[in-house]
Amino acid sequence: MDTHLPSPHPSPGGRGRSPVGTLARRAATLFVVHGILIAGAVFILLPFVWMLITSIKSPAEIFAVDFSLWPKHFNAVENYGFALQKVPLLRFAANGVIVCAGILLIQLLVAIPCAYALAKLRFPGRTALFALVLMGLCIPIQVPALPLYMGLAQVGLLNTYFAIMMPFFLSVFAIFLFRQFFKSYPDEIIHAARLDGMSEFEIVWLIVVPSAWPAIAAFSVFSIVAHWNDLYWPLIVISDTHLATPPLGMMFFADAETGSNYGALTAAATVLTAPLVVAFLIARRRFIEGITMTGIK
Amino acid sequence: MKRLGMLLSSLVVAGTLAISSAEAQQVTLDVLYAFPAFAKFHEPIAQEFMKLHPDIKIAFRAPAPTYDDGHQTMMRQAVTNQLPDVYYSGFHLLSELARTLAKRNQIVDLDPLLAADSKEFRAKNYSDRIVALGRVDGKLYGLPFNASSPIMYYNVELVKKAGGDPEKMPDNWDAVIALAAKIKAGSSDVAGLAYNVHDWPDVWLYHAMITQAGGTVVDGDRVPLGGPDIGVQTLQRFRRFVSEDGMPLIDWDQSRQQFIAGKIGIFFDTPARLRQVTDLIGDKFTLKTAIFPIDNKAKGGLPTGGNAAIITTQDPKKQKAAWEFLKFVTGPEAQKIVVETTGYLPTNLRATGPEFLGPFYDKNPNFRTVSLQVDRSVPWQGYPGGNSVRIWRAQREIITGIMRGEIEPKAGYERLIKETADLMKSQ
Amino acid sequence: MMASAVAIAAPVPVVRRDRQRLIEKLAGCGFAFPAFLLLLLTNLVPLAVLLYLSFTNYELGALDTRFLGLDNFRKAVTDPVLRRSLANTFVYVAIVLPGAVGLGLLIAVLLHRRKRTRTFYEVVYFLPVTSTLIAMATVWQFILHPNLGPVNGMLRAMGFGEIAFLSEPAYVLPTLAAIGIWQLVGFNMVLFLAGLSAIPRDLYEAAEIDGCRSGIDRFLTITWPLLGPTTMFVIITTSITAFKVFDTVAVMTRGGPMGSSEVLLYAIYLEGYQYFHMGYAAALTLIFLAFVLLFSILQTFVLERRVHY
Repeated sequence: MDTHLPSPHPSPGGRGRSPVGTLARRAATLFVVHGILIAGAVFILLPFVWMLITSIKSPAEIFAVDFSLWPKHFNAVENYGFALQKVPLLRFAANGVIVCAGILLIQLLVAIPCAYALAKLRFPGRTALFALVLMGLCIPIQVPALPLYMGLAQVGLLNTYFAIMMPFFLSVFAIFLFRQFFKSYPDEIIHAARLDGMSEFEIVWLIVVPSAWPAIAAFSVFSIVAHWNDLYWPLIVISDTHLATPPLGMMFFADAETGSNYGALTAAATVLTAPLVVAFLIARRRFIEGITMTGIK
Repeated sequence: MKRLGMLLSSLVVAGTLAISSAEAQQVTLDVLYAFPAFAKFHEPIAQEFMKLHPDIKIAFRAPAPTYDDGHQTMMRQAVTNQLPDVYYSGFHLLSELARTLAKRNQIVDLDPLLAADSKEFRAKNYSDRIVALGRVDGKLYGLPFNASSPIMYYNVELVKKAGGDPEKMPDNWDAVIALAAKIKAGSSDVAGLAYNVHDWPDVWLYHAMITQAGGTVVDGDRVPLGGPDIGVQTLQRFRRFVSEDGMPLIDWDQSRQQFIAGKIGIFFDTPARLRQVTDLIGDKFTLKTAIFPIDNKAKGGLPTGGNAAIITTQDPKKQKAAWEFLKFVTGPEAQKIVVETTGYLPTNLRATGPEFLGPFYDKNPNFRTVSLQVDRSVPWQGYPGGNSVRIWRAQREIITGIMRGEIEPKAGYERLIKETADLMKSQ
Repeated sequence: MMASAVAIAAPVPVVRRDRQRLIEKLAGCGFAFPAFLLLLLTNLVPLAVLLYLSFTNYELGALDTRFLGLDNFRKAVTDPVLRRSLANTFVYVAIVLPGAVGLGLLIAVLLHRRKRTRTFYEVVYFLPVTSTLIAMATVWQFILHPNLGPVNGMLRAMGFGEIAFLSEPAYVLPTLAAIGIWQLVGFNMVLFLAGLSAIPRDLYEAAEIDGCRSGIDRFLTITWPLLGPTTMFVIITTSITAFKVFDTVAVMTRGGPMGSSEVLLYAIYLEGYQYFHMGYAAALTLIFLAFVLLFSILQTFVLERRVHY
């Protein structure tokens, strides 16, 4: 008869407990959550902290047993100066930008329509294509490297920006990722658009793509980061230093024969990692946050 | 920045000149070397050369990370006909590279070029032992540019504490092991010595221990690895480093870091790192170097690491220019630059003289040590059959097992002989 | 009048459907074509070349090659080095897969609701993805140094002995796997966050009204099922990435100590680029591809069935 009714203004805990109790629960949850997050963050940050500290230390202090976090002699100016002067670091960064932008642009242009086709359209060879896409995911760059190298040599395109970018124009990762997102896009909207007379082309770029911004933003960041840090393939196809990408540049300081200039190496690493962090910040703020705030869904 | 700007602009100039080569007396040489950090001597040397020879431009290609990578690059480019004009090949890969290129007519025999210069020139500048390092199948394919043999680095304070005399370090192995044991006993977290044969990328340190005792590693088609006496004794010694001297079996970089931190007494390594190690030690302790202990004073030798410059271009004008360049980089001025920035053994006899490295050696005696061993240099041979890299990996695993105490030295020696022979046959 | 109206009404939808199907087919083929062309050029043709090479004894730089038939494959099947590298790779994947996916999911779920601290944590967790291995390798070597590094310093302070993480055969694979997880967590976190942000808020509100209140309840009833496609994607890509491990081995351990960290791709790299046995390396590569492909296809079809779209 007297069933328990939820209170007219349900508290966040939703169980009608006392406000103090819910506050305590809240605090406890927050404590656990942040505890885990911070523990993880320490694990993640430890190498970076050492990297930054090394970049401002003088050589004699780098491998000291009395591990002090703060350097006694500040060598930041020397290390960073050396890194920036001895080697055209900024040139390498510029090359990184050119190569990554070029790769990303073509990747998106090629992958998005293909992913849409795989997710929503029926056409002959669809399953075969998807199997090939999966197979492509398994193929690391080391596999086609030699044949690709010889092919590029034949057409005289070695040692060019094109050579660095070409094997990566097709991103099976992007195709796979976007396919997953497009698959959960409601069919009804697409049908309605078709009835409205929109061409498939317009549907892809004007309707479906905007809903997949989070995925596209995420992928863009991955692509840029991965190809910024690519070492193996550029090493094979480049023989002119002024085309070198960032990791090739860092090799100037990491040497197996005469040893590494650790201070300059970590300074160079810091300089060359910073743009990626900035790119990440821009990407997430622009797209991911924007979407969840406006609550498009 | 200026130096780099000059280099970049000379690259641009070289490029345009190469294009308008119709009326040009200018020759541009494409040069490839390994280890990017070597730019610190390659570039100043190239600058000096270009000042003396305004009609020759030196253009460096992006350096290869290691000798092995450079070797692969050369192999690839031999196939696609894009070889550089000059390449600095690691000694241990020189015979493989030279033989492959010779078959394709892509390498130049340097004997006629050297013979064209006067005999006095050759005698004054190049010792026979050094020149021999560049010979393959009797022909001189490479002119040695960087050379090194292993030396002993040590921590003066730790040696004194153990009762040793830093001015008179032991010159035979039993004495070294004994001293290192005392160093280890003197402190709780200090290791007596480190001899990182278990993590060395090639056979260098392994062969050194055999050849210093007068043993033979390679004998024509056979590989006795020192023979049953010296061969087994070598392996026993490696085990003693761990069991008696507390040598840590870690990665060679970590081991070096530990020495730099003052936690290892005696450290065997390439002299090429002397500059870097000195800087990293700073004033944590006093660093000195001594010659590699030699058990067999009469016959003992040390395999020479480093690289030799080869010429691949088939254009006669470029060949002449390349030969001038080779003579310059192996000349005393250039070798002086090399030694001051690394610690290498100069490959020119005149370089150690008072007009060149004399004063530098006086102020930095540690750098002189390797040149005191030059008479012990023997060529560093790969295993016959061209499978050297693979064979070393298999050998290294067995040696590591011996050092860990998991394999007995005698049994280990048998296994080494067998597996080496098997791998050589499977080619 | 009725009859004719009906008679006219019937054919029109049929024609529309057929035309629609044709448009779909054309659009599908057209959209997929550039990707297919690139696939051909950058994957299939090189694979064909590799296939050809695997039947020969080609060595880089050699002038002549011999046709060997299936000899390379026969050799591979009995090669102890290959079997060891397979085992090593499987161990590595077995540690990295649950670690990187689980942690990525955990962090994403924890972060999803934060407002003020979210940017900070996201950047922190994403940092490893941006790092260059060349620089990081030295850092890890020092951090894990048995004598000098802080990790062992802590272990000693807690009373344990030192562990040579990168030099003990028993520890090297788990250590590399931990570094692999370190590299991947941020990556997976971003993917899960993207997936989480695609779940409509009103679903949660509706569920709350329906009586589903605790965090775990919410997660199990709504979040987890709707994350299906994302989770599947993350699992497959993480396992493939783990299978393809190469860089950390090449830079940090070079296959040691005593071959205990020699993984498949590294063993293949040694064959082809250090020993120059290109023919044999090509055969090994094809075997590697077969393995990974099989594994991923199995995963895809198993998971796809469990995922709601």
